Amino acid sequence: MKKRLGIISLFIILFIAFIAVWNFSYQIGKEEAYIPFERSTEVSSIIPSEKGVFERSEHALDYANMPVDENHQRSLKHYYDNRAYHGAPPSIPHPIKDEMTIGANTCLKCHENGGFTEKFNAYAPVVPHPELVNCRQCHVPTNASGVFRPFEHRSVVAPKAGINNALAGSPPIIPHQIQMHENCLSCHAGPSAPKEIRVTHPERINCRQCHVPNNKEMTDIGTFKRAISNE
Amino acid sequence: MYTSLTNRRSFIKKMAAAAAMTAAATMFPGIVFAKEQEAGIPSGNLDWKKGPCRFCGVGCGILVGVENGKAVAVKGDPNSSVNKGLLCVKGYHQTMCIQAKDRLEHALVKKNGTYVKTPLNEALDLVASKMKETIEKHGKDSVAMYTSGQSTIPEGYVASKLMKGAIGTNNLDCNARLCMASAVAGFLTTFGADEPMGCYEDFDYADYYVTWGNNMAEMHPVLFSRMLEQKNKRGSKIIDFATRTSRSSAASDKSILFEPQTDLAVGNAICYEIIKNGWVNKTFVEKHCNLSKGLTNMGYGLEDNYSFTDKPEKINFEEYKAFLEDYTPEKVAKISRVSVKDIKYLASIFGDPNKKVMSLWCMGVNQHTRGTWMNNIIYNIHLLTGKISQPGNGPFSLTGQPSACGTAREVGTFTHKLPKGVVMNPEHRELAAKIWKVPVERIPAKPTYHTTEMFRAVDRGDIKFIWTQVVNPLVSLPRTSRFRPGMEKDSCFVVVSDVFPTPTTDVADVILPASWHIEKSGLYGNSERRTQHWDKMIEGPGETTPDAWMTIQVAKRMGYGDLFPYSEENHVEEIYNEYRQFHEGKKHGMAPLEVLKKESGVIWPYVDGKSTQWRFNAKFDPACSNGEDFHFYGKPDGKAVIWQRPYEPAAESPDEEYPFWLNTGRVIEHWHTGSMTRRISVLHKAMPHSYVEFHPKDAKALGIRNGEKVKVSSRRGSCVLPASINERGLPTQGQVFVPFFDENMLINDVTLDAFCPISKEPDFKKCAVKIEKA
Repeated sequence: MKKRLGIISLFIILFIAFIAVWNFSYQIGKEEAYIPFERSTEVSSIIPSEKGVFERSEHALDYANMPVDENHQRSLKHYYDNRAYHGAPPSIPHPIKDEMTIGANTCLKCHENGGFTEKFNAYAPVVPHPELVNCRQCHVPTNASGVFRPFEHRSVVAPKAGINNALAGSPPIIPHQIQMHENCLSCHAGPSAPKEIRVTHPERINCRQCHVPNNKEMTDIGTFKRAISNE
Repeated sequence: MYTSLTNRRSFIKKMAAAAAMTAAATMFPGIVFAKEQEAGIPSGNLDWKKGPCRFCGVGCGILVGVENGKAVAVKGDPNSSVNKGLLCVKGYHQTMCIQAKDRLEHALVKKNGTYVKTPLNEALDLVASKMKETIEKHGKDSVAMYTSGQSTIPEGYVASKLMKGAIGTNNLDCNARLCMASAVAGFLTTFGADEPMGCYEDFDYADYYVTWGNNMAEMHPVLFSRMLEQKNKRGSKIIDFATRTSRSSAASDKSILFEPQTDLAVGNAICYEIIKNGWVNKTFVEKHCNLSKGLTNMGYGLEDNYSFTDKPEKINFEEYKAFLEDYTPEKVAKISRVSVKDIKYLASIFGDPNKKVMSLWCMGVNQHTRGTWMNNIIYNIHLLTGKISQPGNGPFSLTGQPSACGTAREVGTFTHKLPKGVVMNPEHRELAAKIWKVPVERIPAKPTYHTTEMFRAVDRGDIKFIWTQVVNPLVSLPRTSRFRPGMEKDSCFVVVSDVFPTPTTDVADVILPASWHIEKSGLYGNSERRTQHWDKMIEGPGETTPDAWMTIQVAKRMGYGDLFPYSEENHVEEIYNEYRQFHEGKKHGMAPLEVLKKESGVIWPYVDGKSTQWRFNAKFDPACSNGEDFHFYGKPDGKAVIWQRPYEPAAESPDEEYPFWLNTGRVIEHWHTGSMTRRISVLHKAMPHSYVEFHPKDAKALGIRNGEKVKVSSRRGSCVLPASINERGLPTQGQVFVPFFDENMLINDVTLDAFCPISKEPDFKKCAVKIEKA
């Protein structure tokens, strides 16, 4: 009898211990699962990276001396139409030969330096970030028309060309953000550049000498304010 | 088929035409550029007025479009050989600051702690009576004036005449002390004559551009574009030698990074290699050079009333060679972190007799506790190889301010200077007394306060009246943490002339409303000895008045009217004509005003209607008179000096408590303390506040993320700024970089007031700091 009571109480102790341990680890687990997300209260930095600022500048004189092929010019509308919204990665508007290959072997052959493609009767746009070769991570083809279910999407208003000068005749500011496309010449020079935004002076490769970002898309930072003032 | 053929034909035709046009465009890009810019300007009654740009020492020619009395557009002047029609982002938008809402339009006088709007005449009465009263009570040396490398030539001239000629004190210095003093001391010790021997045309001939601690892509962008153009067209090479990877490094053919302060050692190692490999131009050195050494272990001027005078001593070539034994590439590589290979590569560029080399530098070399030495060492390299004073070959000291050369250096708004020569020289004093029509005894022979010492004297209470013009010392001085409380003291009456409120006007007793650049006439002188004139283009608001005229008004009120017989409408012209007399002759002749009004600037010496582009070279310079190819006529024996200058450590180096170097500087968007450029919306939006740059490895070790607020502190003070990693620039490991333009984040509270003992120019590039999360 004593022995049986001992065994039962041992099991009871084990059972209580189990519940306690389980409870404890459950609570710990719950805490661990919650990783607080620290939101920075400071204004995010709006100074763009200098990365790639002089890339493709070795082609600047070629760009300057290249004649304009008026029959095969892209327009800014065409440029924007190929994107879900302004700033989104463009989709692939042409059929793709091989679904298995990525980047360097295929896409970059045409898109690293551009050039005329007989088959599509167009100049291939130049990629501003050729170092990222997993192209189809972001760029997908359009294989169907229409939508799965109707949706509402308010698109970002895309900047317009020709209205970005602070003074009459002053160099236009950069009206878009430049992350992933810090290299100006890839979109603004050469035969694939949309005609409205093709630079007339690609040989001036130090673009940000005259054109500075003014990124209303991110934050409007207002005018300069003095922190301390006696007035 | 048929259509496609014509298409092809017309296409080929167009192609040929376009090719011809663009070929012309790439040959004269600036000129076509200005025309094209004009195409974007609506046709109206625009009146284009010429002048020099307000921001930086390059001295680009600008054309300001004026419509109905308002400046509405700016374009590059295609006739200016400096910029050929191109400007930078500051230049294109410069006139926009005039419309700022907090423009100082009226005089303000502090009464019981608040500023009261006062008629300008009354304010000037008060300034004059205070100045007079202070002199009567405490003597001439209790009043001081602090001006600027942005003052126009007439403004600097009347300030010098008032202080040195009328009152009779040498208490006049200017902010060019903070940027160009080492360059001046370098020129005077090596050549005996200030300012570069070459000109910007050198860019068009040089095969190599070696930039010494100089981020030209942001600080001298138009000249940098000229280099890029040559790089693309002729294959010229840019070698960036710096302590920070910048936009300039990105565009250069080779970027070489060195440990702060070790440029002295690397420079000597280059000389060592040149001699060792037999690359010395022996005939040039024998005919045109002397060798000298000076005192060493000079100290750093950290204590008040520090003084130093160098004692030059002639040496021979063997002694110099023996001295350089300490600077073999192997030894220097250890302290400089520059590889032996890179040192030898640098030396080989200078050593190749078939390559033309330009050295370019600005604040990295000048703002240096051994700034004069560093200037000397660069000249040594060029003198040893004979690569000097020839098209495409030469050392080129760049300036920061639009008239650092024209006003600060040529008019001489330093304590030791006169419009020609120095106060210590009796002949120079006599010439000044003669032209100024004052007794020669009135001009004191002893210099008084250089900038740092001047503000120390304000803090000590020795200076009881100070008038600052065109300058914002409480943002730009080193160690403002000492000088701000100093200027706030009641012991000193502070008069500030400015266009906008600044931290300096905040401590003023009287604020005088100055005219901005194009609201007055004036003259500037740029880095290549080019003097540029402009006429008043628009009317200023309220009671704004040109600085020169306010100085004249105060002088008249103090009883010196007979020395300042200028008229309000024509004072610029009258003053310039008087000033020109100082520089008559083949060595420094200035162009007459009629020529300056017509041309987009003229280079001095202007002799027989011609600019002298390369001084000291008999082929180009009519002042050469020794019958040889070269004549360094600044020195009595016509020879330049190769100086033996060692490496010495910085005034304050990182240690355990303060483990990082602090480097400060500028960004392309803002001009100096930002009082003007931050009021231009385009520039403010592109660069809204300052930041502290880290090397990514340092940031990682400290656990600092991009944009996070950090506290940078030194033994003097601290400053809180957002961190910047991999954005505008990349300092070397163990170093942080902060732009100084932001008055809301005063990094100069942290910097050190150590200076070069010879030039008295402070070192803003090196002090020790620690970093904490704020």
